[in-house]
Amino acid sequence: MKKYLQVLKITFQQELAYRLNFIMWRVRNVMQVFLMFFLWDSVFSDSSRQFFGYNRSKMLTYIFGILIIKAIVFSSRTIELSGIISDGTLAQYLLKPINFFKYWFTADIASKILNLSFSFVETILLFLIFKPEIYFQSNPIYLLLFFISLLIAVLLFFAIVFLINMVSFWTPEAGWALPFLFIVIIGDFLSGSVFPLDIFSKSYQNIFYSLPFPYLVFFPLQIYLGKLSISVVINGMFISLGWLIILWFSMKYVWQRGLKKFSSEGI
Amino acid sequence: MDRAIVVDHLIKNFEVNVKKPGLTGSILSLIKPEKKIVRALKNISFSIQPGELVGFIGPNGAGKTTTLKVLSGLLYPTNGFVQVLNYDPWERRTEFLKKISLVMGQKRQLWWDLPAIESLELYKEIYELPQHDYAKNLEELVDLLEVRKILNIQVRKLSLGQRMRLELISALLHKPEILFLDEPTIGLDVVAQQKVRDFIYDYNRRNNSTILLTSHNMDDVVNLARRVIVIDQGKIIFDGVLDNLVEQFAKEKIIKVYLSNEENIKEIERIGKVRNISYPLVTLSVPRQTVALAASELLQNFPVEDLTIEEIPIEEIIRTLFKKSAKNRK
Repeated sequence: MKKYLQVLKITFQQELAYRLNFIMWRVRNVMQVFLMFFLWDSVFSDSSRQFFGYNRSKMLTYIFGILIIKAIVFSSRTIELSGIISDGTLAQYLLKPINFFKYWFTADIASKILNLSFSFVETILLFLIFKPEIYFQSNPIYLLLFFISLLIAVLLFFAIVFLINMVSFWTPEAGWALPFLFIVIIGDFLSGSVFPLDIFSKSYQNIFYSLPFPYLVFFPLQIYLGKLSISVVINGMFISLGWLIILWFSMKYVWQRGLKKFSSEGI
Repeated sequence: MDRAIVVDHLIKNFEVNVKKPGLTGSILSLIKPEKKIVRALKNISFSIQPGELVGFIGPNGAGKTTTLKVLSGLLYPTNGFVQVLNYDPWERRTEFLKKISLVMGQKRQLWWDLPAIESLELYKEIYELPQHDYAKNLEELVDLLEVRKILNIQVRKLSLGQRMRLELISALLHKPEILFLDEPTIGLDVVAQQKVRDFIYDYNRRNNSTILLTSHNMDDVVNLARRVIVIDQGKIIFDGVLDNLVEQFAKEKIIKVYLSNEENIKEIERIGKVRNISYPLVTLSVPRQTVALAASELLQNFPVEDLTIEEIPIEEIIRTLFKKSAKNRK
């Protein structure tokens, strides 16, 4: 256990070694919230209006929620994996008596803690500037389900990122492009962190819900906002757990295949 | 445990994509990738006793690094038997990994953006070293390699030589029973090379650890290893004590004479093969068996001021060895 604490510590230091990078990443996230805030703020300028089941306070809560949830779910060091595979540094990790998955998950947690603490400060600042009406969920059952869905989201994201990065085993040249596309297109769009997915028509929503991506950001936020009935929540939990199991085993399987490739060609 | 490393009839093939030159070649290789089998190790066998310091020499691409990677468990052998400390390296069990270390001169394992001490602290936990052992080992290594002042400086800001010494520390913190060193002196200047070399020698004697070292730098091997394995084109062409290599492959000896005048310097050719004349020094090579005769003839018939008999330099022997094996292939 102590080894992973040390991994946590060294990852913190590493993130802080790239201060400017980190700060720019935070600025990007805050800017996104800014844009969305002004967009929806004008849409809901008449505070009695309702769109797609959102009133003003719920929509603004959704936007602020994105900032926090993205810090928890999307903060990751595992995105470096493709580089480590393609430049051969992976060898160094394989020769250490350490569990590779646990190592990277721990590094992710370090990144999440750091990002989360920043996003808290940012949220408070934004709150003080805009003084929006925020919706507080008080039902303990919804809060509990919210935390469970967050945990699933974190694990889902880890498995997805790990899987995508492992493409480098087969195409070391194109390694970074795929993870990048994933984060920009899938990550932001399909997870609901650009706008809530329920502004789409029902048939689109059904497609989205059968994919793993809405369970990263949109689904936990919907639970928090209390917009889903318990039965829908349970249903969603099962789908996301199903995805988690599938992706987790695929991750392990592809990892074994990748290692075989790595060890037979010595990239 | 009698032998630290056993390698028996090891074969390792790689499959690589071949790309024809130019843009058309790139497109063609996209549509129909052409595979080629590279035979990196062709049936090699050897074994190493605990505490031995063995040097692997060979030109680039001979299979030195491949061998080390198979032994440390990074590469899966295509065929043959490999055992290291009674483990199958490929399984990479925790107990096995705690007993070995691989240092690659061209790869780094220290965190680039952090001072080395941070990486070392991490390795302490990864290898589960008790605080006492860690402190003692670190103290000893830091002294030996003279790196106390640079422990707290970001690794990226250090010179190659400084970094290499820190890499060595990170590889030795857990006192591995077997140490694989791949080109440990690559890119270092002469002084730094010597420092690293002295250290390796010393470390081997102190801890009785088994060390396998590859290098294309002859000095490394000649100064460090008593036993050498010469490998070329994936085959072992010599395995034994360094001195035997000389005896086995150097059919000639070298006589150096200093002459007092140039009078009959032309006639010296009949004594032996003239390698070099730069008056007053003449260098001759003569067959091993007749070296005494040649020397006495020189003393009788020439105005000799000084005369020495030497072995052919080891570098030269190895060079001819490689040439010979290249010729055999043709």
